[in-house]
Amino acid sequence: MSDALSDGGSDHDDSQEDVMTPVELIAKLEEAWLNEKFSPDLLENKSEIVECVMEQLTHMEANLQRVSKGDTKASVHRMEIDRIRFVLSSYLRSRLQKIEKFFPHVLEKEKSRADGDPSYLSPEEYAFAREYLANTETYLKAVALRHMPPNLQSVNMMKAVPEPCLDSFVFLRVKERQDNIMVEPETDDQREYVVDLEEGSQHLMRYRTIAPLVSTGAVQLI
Amino acid sequence: MFCEKSIELIRELQRMRDGQLPAFNEDAVRQVLEEMKALYEQNQGDVNEAKTEGKSELIPSIKLRHCCLLRNQRCVAAYLYDRLLRIRALRWEYGSVLPPNIRFHMCAEELQWFNQYKKSLANFMRSVGGEEGLDITQDMKPPKSLYIEVRCLKDHGEFEIDDGTIILLKKNSQHFLPRWKCEQLIRQGVLEHVLS
Amino acid sequence: MDPSEVEFLAEKEVVKIIPNFSLDKIYLIGGDLGPFNPGLPVDVPVWLALNLKQRQKCRILPPEWMDVDKLEDVREMERKEESFTPPPSPYYMELTKLLLNHASDNIPKADEIRTLVKDIWDTRIAKLRLSADSFISQQEAHAKLDNLTLMEINTTRSFLLDSLNCMFKLRSNMQPGSGTGKALDY
Repeated sequence: MSDALSDGGSDHDDSQEDVMTPVELIAKLEEAWLNEKFSPDLLENKSEIVECVMEQLTHMEANLQRVSKGDTKASVHRMEIDRIRFVLSSYLRSRLQKIEKFFPHVLEKEKSRADGDPSYLSPEEYAFAREYLANTETYLKAVALRHMPPNLQSVNMMKAVPEPCLDSFVFLRVKERQDNIMVEPETDDQREYVVDLEEGSQHLMRYRTIAPLVSTGAVQLI
Repeated sequence: MFCEKSIELIRELQRMRDGQLPAFNEDAVRQVLEEMKALYEQNQGDVNEAKTEGKSELIPSIKLRHCCLLRNQRCVAAYLYDRLLRIRALRWEYGSVLPPNIRFHMCAEELQWFNQYKKSLANFMRSVGGEEGLDITQDMKPPKSLYIEVRCLKDHGEFEIDDGTIILLKKNSQHFLPRWKCEQLIRQGVLEHVLS
Repeated sequence: MDPSEVEFLAEKEVVKIIPNFSLDKIYLIGGDLGPFNPGLPVDVPVWLALNLKQRQKCRILPPEWMDVDKLEDVREMERKEESFTPPPSPYYMELTKLLLNHASDNIPKADEIRTLVKDIWDTRIAKLRLSADSFISQQEAHAKLDNLTLMEINTTRSFLLDSLNCMFKLRSNMQPGSGTGKALDY
């Protein structure tokens, strides 16, 4: 169950897609949806999940075209399609909102990514983020910056737009046991300490502490 | 006092609730830009004087003006950017055609930004997950599999429900329909929810 | 998270129904359902159960935990224990609401169940308030939250997380040099 797809962003091995059943695919989509909803930072893209789910939906819709109208079975399928499409849209919306909110940082992270590291943005998201940046820069320039003194005609977007706050607290459920997770002190008179995250347990802690565990799938944000 | 106008711009938006877009305050933006021009020119003069005549007593006022310039720039950028965020939200609320009373509050460049945003979003949605694409401005709320009883308030014509059946929405007719399918029609005043 | 989204997740839970129609197996993307035979109990997700019920195509069997005696025990335990006891179901609140609103004629002693679940919820939310309060005042960095349901977490989420973030900002702004310029984040 250890992520047939989670490392798929960089790796196009068809045999990996084959091992995932539609049931697992939908479960993966729902995990990705909740993680993205609750994570303060943009997570790695799961375009392969998105594509597979879209394929499933398209395929099912095509089958339904052939079914007679008013059929009970068809109405059950349509209800399921509506549910899956909602999760998929909501997932993509959460990502797009974060891309818009943090666009200079998101683009910078993508640029400074080492070869072979998974890409944070899907190609469509990358195109969107670049257009958003260019559009916003053009706008600020046209309305105000070009009328300002020569030394003030640009704004450093990296400084101007807030970056994701990795110190935000998140709620999580543990899927794979983790030992010795370091908890940083909140105040000067506290000491750091370690906690064990047992399988099935739930916790409230800073996102920064457990961010790597979200991307490996060891914990689920809730 | 310097920077008064630029603070006024910030206050203007802070007074507004989220999602509201006041008229673009062209006048105040112009006044801030004029103040910046004046501050810059005074500084140019003083910098020259300080350099050529060694008047170091001019340096504090140069610094002060420079801080005001930075503050003005920051406030204007914040004003413009916050408006963009509000305009962005309008795309999600109203769709790609904005009501005229809202367009009326936008400056020409904002309309350009909005049009480009629409285009970027449309491109994104067209290219998501293969050929078909996905309109993610739909399905904002979880679907409900429940049905409700509705009465038709005016003739609306044919209407397709989730299982593909077509029904005729005629004035005064009553129907048992999936709730999420009728919500928009209820808002538009075509249907009313019959409470039993 | 919007409460309607928590409800959406609750609707994935499985309940037993007794259909009054027959239908072959349905091969949904998310798993197979059926076959359906009149009078024979079959497992379906709540979203489908509610839909069929409304179209008068089935009777819903209440989940095992939705029982006056069992819930009375849970309420006792919840009142006695200081910590959170295991909830009757991870979606007990939402399921109670959904099933009682749309299939109350299939749930014996529906009114009593409604009251019991409300009592359990109130007791748990009171505990949650207390622990959130102590978490903040002790400036804790970690809390274990076993047995809390998603809906319970969701009721305190935005208030608790916003407060924590706000306090963090205040604290880190007190340290000189850490407040980086945020021109657009006024």
